[in-house]
Amino acid sequence: MDFSIRAANMEDCKDIARMIMLQVHNKPCCDYLSDMENILVNTSHFSRFHIFDCLLSGHTKIGYALYFYSYSWLGRGIYMEDLYVMPEFRGKGIGKALMSKLGLAAGCSNLKFTVLDWNKPSVDFYVSQGCSDITANFGFHCMRCEGEALEHLAQP
Amino acid sequence: MEYKLRKAEPRDVSDILRLVKELAKYEEMEHQVKLTEKDLLEDGFGDTPFYHCIIAEIQGENSSDDPKVLGFAMYYFTYDPWIGKQLYLEDFYVMDQYRGLGIGSKILHHLSDLAMKTRCTGIMFVVAENNAPAVQFYKRHGAEDLSQEEGWRVFRFDKNSLVRMAGGAEE
Repeated sequence: MDFSIRAANMEDCKDIARMIMLQVHNKPCCDYLSDMENILVNTSHFSRFHIFDCLLSGHTKIGYALYFYSYSWLGRGIYMEDLYVMPEFRGKGIGKALMSKLGLAAGCSNLKFTVLDWNKPSVDFYVSQGCSDITANFGFHCMRCEGEALEHLAQP
Repeated sequence: MEYKLRKAEPRDVSDILRLVKELAKYEEMEHQVKLTEKDLLEDGFGDTPFYHCIIAEIQGENSSDDPKVLGFAMYYFTYDPWIGKQLYLEDFYVMDQYRGLGIGSKILHHLSDLAMKTRCTGIMFVVAENNAPAVQFYKRHGAEDLSQEEGWRVFRFDKNSLVRMAGGAEE
Protein backbone atom coordinates (compact mmCIF):
# COMPACT_ATOMS: atom_id res chain seq x y z
CA MET A 1 0.00 0.00 0.00
CA ASP A 2 1.44 3.34 -1.03
CA PHE A 3 1.48 5.69 1.95
CA SER A 4 3.73 8.52 3.07
CA ILE A 5 4.21 10.43 6.29
CA ARG A 6 4.89 14.13 6.57
CA ALA A 7 4.61 16.96 9.05
CA ALA A 8 1.11 18.44 8.99
CA ASN A 9 0.49 22.06 8.06
CA MET A 10 -2.38 24.44 8.82
CA GLU A 11 -4.37 23.27 5.80
CA ASP A 12 -4.40 19.76 7.25
CA CYS A 13 -6.32 20.81 10.37
CA LYS A 14 -9.63 20.11 8.62
CA ASP A 15 -8.66 16.47 7.99
CA ILE A 16 -7.12 16.05 11.46
CA ALA A 17 -10.36 17.39 12.96
CA ARG A 18 -12.30 14.90 10.81
CA MET A 19 -10.21 12.01 12.16
CA ILE A 20 -10.54 13.23 15.75
CA MET A 21 -14.32 13.39 15.26
CA LEU A 22 -14.27 9.78 13.96
CA GLN A 23 -13.17 8.75 17.44
CA VAL A 24 -16.01 10.58 19.21
CA HIS A 25 -18.33 7.62 19.47
CA ASN A 26 -15.82 5.92 21.79
CA LYS A 27 -15.53 8.86 24.17
CA PRO A 28 -17.81 11.32 25.98
CA CYS A 29 -18.86 14.14 23.65
CA CYS A 30 -17.64 17.64 24.37
CA ASP A 31 -19.54 20.67 23.13
CA TYR A 32 -16.53 22.15 21.41
CA LEU A 33 -15.75 19.12 19.23
CA SER A 34 -17.99 20.61 16.56
CA ASP A 35 -15.44 23.40 16.28
CA MET A 36 -12.41 21.13 16.41
CA GLU A 37 -10.84 22.48 13.26
CA ASN A 38 -10.81 26.05 14.57
CA ILE A 39 -9.42 24.88 17.87
CA LEU A 40 -6.54 23.06 16.18
CA VAL A 41 -5.73 26.08 14.03
CA ASN A 42 -5.97 28.57 16.88
CA THR A 43 -4.22 26.61 19.60
CA SER A 44 -1.33 25.20 17.58
CA HIS A 45 0.45 28.55 17.85
CA PHE A 46 0.74 28.65 21.61
CA SER A 47 0.35 24.99 22.48
CA ARG A 48 3.30 23.99 20.32
CA PHE A 49 1.93 20.60 19.54
CA HIS A 50 3.09 18.89 16.37
CA ILE A 51 1.34 16.51 14.04
CA PHE A 52 2.52 13.94 11.57
CA ASP A 53 -0.01 13.06 8.87
CA CYS A 54 -0.20 9.80 7.00
CA LEU A 55 -1.29 10.20 3.41
CA LEU A 56 -2.53 7.45 1.13
CA SER A 57 -1.02 7.81 -2.33
CA GLY A 58 -0.13 11.41 -1.53
CA HIS A 59 -3.73 12.58 -1.16
CA THR A 60 -6.15 11.20 1.41
CA LYS A 61 -5.28 11.62 5.09
CA ILE A 62 -5.79 8.27 6.78
CA GLY A 63 -3.90 8.62 10.04
CA TYR A 64 -2.07 11.04 12.32
CA ALA A 65 0.09 11.32 15.40
CA LEU A 66 -0.22 14.41 17.62
CA TYR A 67 2.71 14.97 19.98
CA PHE A 68 4.74 17.33 22.12
CA TYR A 69 8.27 17.60 23.27
CA SER A 70 8.58 16.54 26.88
CA TYR A 71 11.37 16.61 29.44
CA SER A 72 12.50 14.38 32.28
CA TRP A 73 15.53 12.77 33.96
CA LEU A 74 16.12 11.04 30.63
CA GLY A 75 16.43 14.40 28.87
CA ARG A 76 14.41 15.42 25.82
CA GLY A 77 11.51 13.18 24.99
CA ILE A 78 8.30 12.93 23.03
CA TYR A 79 4.84 12.76 24.60
CA MET A 80 2.48 11.19 22.10
CA GLU A 81 -1.02 12.53 22.77
CA ASP A 82 -2.90 10.86 19.91
CA LEU A 83 -2.08 8.04 17.49
CA TYR A 84 -4.87 7.17 15.09
CA VAL A 85 -5.24 5.18 11.89
CA MET A 86 -8.65 4.89 10.22
CA PRO A 87 -10.04 1.38 10.88
CA GLU A 88 -10.05 0.28 7.24
CA PHE A 89 -6.30 1.00 6.96
CA ARG A 90 -5.10 -0.76 10.09
CA GLY A 91 -2.79 -3.77 10.15
CA LYS A 92 -0.59 -2.39 7.35
CA GLY A 93 2.27 -0.91 9.36
CA ILE A 94 0.98 2.69 9.37
CA GLY A 95 0.79 3.06 13.17
CA LYS A 96 4.31 1.69 13.49
CA ALA A 97 5.56 4.02 10.74
CA LEU A 98 4.00 7.07 12.47
CA MET A 99 5.51 6.13 15.84
CA SER A 100 8.89 5.46 14.25
CA LYS A 101 8.84 8.96 12.77
CA LEU A 102 8.18 10.40 16.23
CA GLY A 103 10.81 8.19 17.79
CA LEU A 104 13.52 9.55 15.52
CA ALA A 105 12.89 13.18 16.50
CA ALA A 106 16.28 14.81 16.99
CA GLY A 107 17.76 14.54 20.43
CA CYS A 108 14.84 12.67 21.97
CA SER A 109 15.65 9.70 24.13
CA ASN A 110 12.19 8.36 24.92
CA LEU A 111 8.59 8.29 23.75
CA LYS A 112 5.82 8.27 26.36
CA PHE A 113 2.05 7.97 26.07
CA THR A 114 -1.00 6.58 27.84
CA VAL A 115 -3.41 3.88 26.75
CA LEU A 116 -6.59 2.52 28.34
CA ASP A 117 -6.19 -0.91 29.88
CA TRP A 118 -9.28 -2.29 28.11
CA ASN A 119 -7.88 -1.33 24.69
CA LYS A 120 -6.28 -4.74 24.21
CA PRO A 121 -5.42 -4.38 20.48
CA SER A 122 -3.47 -1.19 21.24
CA VAL A 123 -1.81 -2.60 24.37
CA ASP A 124 -0.73 -5.73 22.46
CA PHE A 125 0.53 -3.64 19.54
CA TYR A 126 2.68 -1.37 21.72
CA VAL A 127 4.11 -4.25 23.73
CA SER A 128 4.96 -6.09 20.49
CA GLN A 129 6.98 -3.04 19.41
CA GLY A 130 9.18 -3.20 22.51
CA CYS A 131 7.32 -0.69 24.67
CA SER A 132 7.35 -0.91 28.46
CA ASP A 133 4.14 -0.65 30.50
CA ILE A 134 5.48 1.47 33.34
CA THR A 135 2.15 1.43 35.16
CA ALA A 136 2.27 -2.36 35.41
CA ASN A 137 6.07 -2.58 35.89
CA PHE A 138 6.69 0.34 38.28
CA GLY A 139 3.24 1.22 39.57
CA PHE A 140 3.17 4.64 37.94
CA HIS A 141 -0.32 6.15 38.00
CA CYS A 142 -1.62 9.08 35.92
CA MET A 143 -3.27 11.70 38.01
CA ARG A 144 -5.05 14.90 37.12
CA CYS A 145 -6.32 17.93 38.95
CA GLU A 146 -9.09 19.63 36.96
CA GLY A 147 -12.39 21.50 37.06
CA GLU A 148 -13.53 22.62 40.49
CA ALA A 149 -10.52 21.02 42.17
CA LEU A 150 -8.15 23.10 40.00
CA GLU A 151 -10.15 26.29 40.60
CA HIS A 152 -10.16 25.64 44.33
CA LEU A 153 -6.41 25.02 44.33
CA ALA A 154 -5.79 28.27 42.45
CA GLN A 155 -7.71 30.42 44.93
CA PRO A 156 -5.57 32.58 47.19
CA MET B 1 10.46 30.37 57.96
CA GLU B 2 10.66 32.87 55.12
CA TYR B 3 10.90 31.33 51.69
CA LYS B 4 10.00 32.53 48.22
CA LEU B 5 8.98 30.97 44.93
CA ARG B 6 10.41 32.29 41.66
CA LYS B 7 10.98 31.30 38.06
CA ALA B 8 14.22 29.39 37.60
CA GLU B 9 17.07 31.22 35.90
CA PRO B 10 20.15 29.88 34.06
CA ARG B 11 22.23 30.24 37.25
CA ASP B 12 19.94 27.69 38.96
CA VAL B 13 20.81 24.67 36.78
CA SER B 14 23.24 23.15 39.27
CA ASP B 15 20.60 23.32 42.03
CA ILE B 16 17.95 21.93 39.68
CA LEU B 17 20.20 18.99 38.83
CA ARG B 18 21.00 18.43 42.51
CA LEU B 19 17.27 18.28 43.34
CA VAL B 20 16.48 16.10 40.29
CA LYS B 21 19.06 13.60 41.57
CA GLU B 22 17.67 13.77 45.12
CA LEU B 23 14.16 13.08 43.81
CA ALA B 24 15.46 10.20 41.69
CA LYS B 25 17.25 8.75 44.72
CA TYR B 26 14.03 9.07 46.78
CA GLU B 27 12.25 7.07 44.05
CA GLU B 28 15.15 4.58 43.91
CA MET B 29 15.88 5.44 40.29
CA GLU B 30 19.01 7.55 40.58
CA HIS B 31 20.81 5.44 37.94
CA GLN B 32 18.22 6.63 35.38
CA VAL B 33 19.22 10.29 35.56
CA LYS B 34 20.98 11.17 32.31
CA LEU B 35 20.70 14.94 32.54
CA THR B 36 23.70 17.21 32.88
CA GLU B 37 23.85 20.91 33.80
CA LYS B 38 24.64 21.65 30.16
CA ASP B 39 21.45 19.83 29.06
CA LEU B 40 19.37 21.76 31.59
CA LEU B 41 20.85 25.04 30.41
CA GLU B 42 20.35 24.40 26.68
CA ASP B 43 16.96 22.76 27.03
CA GLY B 44 15.45 25.15 29.55
CA PHE B 45 16.87 28.51 28.65
CA GLY B 46 17.38 28.42 24.88
CA ASP B 47 15.11 29.80 22.15
CA THR B 48 12.57 26.98 22.53
CA PRO B 49 12.45 25.73 26.11
CA PHE B 50 11.58 22.06 26.57
CA TYR B 51 10.62 22.68 30.18
CA HIS B 52 9.77 25.40 32.68
CA CYS B 53 10.82 25.42 36.28
CA ILE B 54 9.94 27.22 39.48
CA ILE B 55 12.09 26.96 42.55
CA ALA B 56 11.61 27.56 46.25
CA GLU B 57 14.49 29.16 48.13
CA ILE B 58 15.24 30.49 51.59
CA GLN B 59 17.64 33.21 52.60
CA GLY B 60 20.85 32.01 54.24
CA GLU B 61 21.28 32.28 58.01
CA ASN B 62 23.49 35.33 57.61
CA SER B 63 22.67 38.18 55.26
CA SER B 64 25.91 37.55 53.40
CA ASP B 65 25.04 33.90 52.68
CA ASP B 66 23.67 32.85 49.29
CA PRO B 67 19.99 31.83 49.28
CA LYS B 68 19.47 28.08 49.47
CA VAL B 69 17.30 26.31 46.88
CA LEU B 70 15.18 23.73 48.71
CA GLY B 71 12.47 22.71 46.25
CA PHE B 72 11.45 22.80 42.60
CA ALA B 73 8.75 21.95 40.10
CA MET B 74 9.53 21.17 36.46
CA TYR B 75 6.65 21.32 33.99
CA TYR B 76 5.65 21.82 30.35
CA PHE B 77 2.41 22.22 28.43
CA THR B 78 0.54 19.57 26.48
CA TYR B 79 -2.70 19.62 24.53
CA ASP B 80 -5.46 17.04 24.56
CA PRO B 81 -7.92 17.62 21.68
CA TRP B 82 -10.70 16.22 23.90
CA ILE B 83 -10.20 18.46 26.91
CA GLY B 84 -7.79 21.21 25.91
CA LYS B 85 -4.46 22.52 27.14
CA GLN B 86 -2.88 20.80 30.14
CA LEU B 87 -0.01 21.71 32.42
CA TYR B 88 2.10 18.55 32.68
CA LEU B 89 3.96 18.44 35.98
CA GLU B 90 7.02 16.26 35.37
CA ASP B 91 8.99 16.67 38.61
CA PHE B 92 7.98 18.12 41.96
CA TYR B 93 10.23 17.91 45.02
CA VAL B 94 10.91 19.58 48.36
CA MET B 95 14.03 18.59 50.33
CA ASP B 96 13.28 16.23 53.20
CA GLN B 97 14.19 18.62 56.03
CA TYR B 98 11.87 21.33 54.66
CA ARG B 99 8.71 19.25 54.31
CA GLY B 100 5.57 19.74 56.35
CA LEU B 101 5.91 23.55 56.19
CA GLY B 102 3.41 24.15 53.41
CA ILE B 103 6.02 24.70 50.69
CA GLY B 104 4.71 21.89 48.47
CA SER B 105 1.16 23.19 48.79
CA LYS B 106 2.36 26.68 47.91
CA ILE B 107 4.13 25.37 44.81
CA LEU B 108 0.99 23.49 43.75
CA HIS B 109 -1.11 26.60 44.35
CA HIS B 110 1.31 28.63 42.20
CA LEU B 111 1.10 26.03 39.40
CA SER B 112 -2.69 25.85 39.51
CA ASP B 113 -2.92 29.63 39.35
CA LEU B 114 -0.57 29.57 36.36
CA ALA B 115 -2.64 26.78 34.77
CA MET B 116 -5.83 28.84 35.11
CA LYS B 117 -4.18 31.99 33.73
CA THR B 118 -2.81 30.11 30.71
CA ARG B 119 -6.22 28.54 30.02
CA CYS B 120 -5.26 25.00 30.96
CA THR B 121 -8.16 22.76 31.93
CA GLY B 122 -6.05 20.56 34.18
CA ILE B 123 -2.69 19.67 35.70
CA MET B 124 -1.48 16.17 34.78
CA PHE B 125 1.23 14.19 36.46
CA VAL B 126 2.45 10.67 37.11
CA VAL B 127 3.15 9.31 40.58
CA ALA B 128 4.28 5.89 41.79
CA GLU B 129 1.45 4.18 43.66
CA ASN B 130 3.84 3.10 46.45
CA ASN B 131 4.81 6.74 47.09
CA ALA B 132 2.10 7.02 49.73
CA PRO B 133 2.98 10.53 51.03
CA ALA B 134 2.86 11.92 47.47
CA VAL B 135 -0.38 10.12 46.58
CA GLN B 136 -2.04 11.38 49.77
CA PHE B 137 -0.75 14.92 49.16
CA TYR B 138 -2.19 15.01 45.64
CA LYS B 139 -5.52 13.46 46.63
CA ARG B 140 -5.82 15.91 49.51
CA HIS B 141 -5.50 18.67 46.91
CA GLY B 142 -8.30 17.25 44.78
CA ALA B 143 -6.40 15.14 42.23
CA GLU B 144 -8.05 12.11 40.64
CA ASP B 145 -6.18 8.87 40.02
CA LEU B 146 -6.97 8.27 36.34
CA SER B 147 -5.17 4.92 36.31
CA GLN B 148 -7.38 3.62 39.09
CA GLU B 149 -10.64 5.31 38.05
CA GLU B 150 -10.48 5.09 34.26
CA GLY B 151 -7.83 2.45 33.54
CA TRP B 152 -5.13 4.65 32.00
CA ARG B 153 -1.69 3.05 31.78
CA VAL B 154 1.57 4.87 31.05
CA PHE B 155 3.76 3.32 28.36
CA ARG B 156 7.28 4.26 27.42
CA PHE B 157 9.77 3.41 24.66
CA ASP B 158 13.41 3.93 25.58
CA LYS B 159 16.03 4.89 23.01
CA ASN B 160 17.02 1.30 22.14
CA SER B 161 13.42 0.24 21.54
CA LEU B 162 12.81 3.33 19.38
CA VAL B 163 15.83 2.56 17.21
CA ARG B 164 14.75 -1.09 16.88
CA MET B 165 11.21 -0.12 15.92
CA ALA B 166 12.43 2.43 13.35
CA GLY B 167 14.71 -0.22 11.85
CA GLY B 168 11.76 -2.57 11.55
CA ALA B 169 9.54 0.11 9.97
CA GLU B 170 12.02 0.60 7.15
CA GLU B 171 12.00 -3.09 6.16
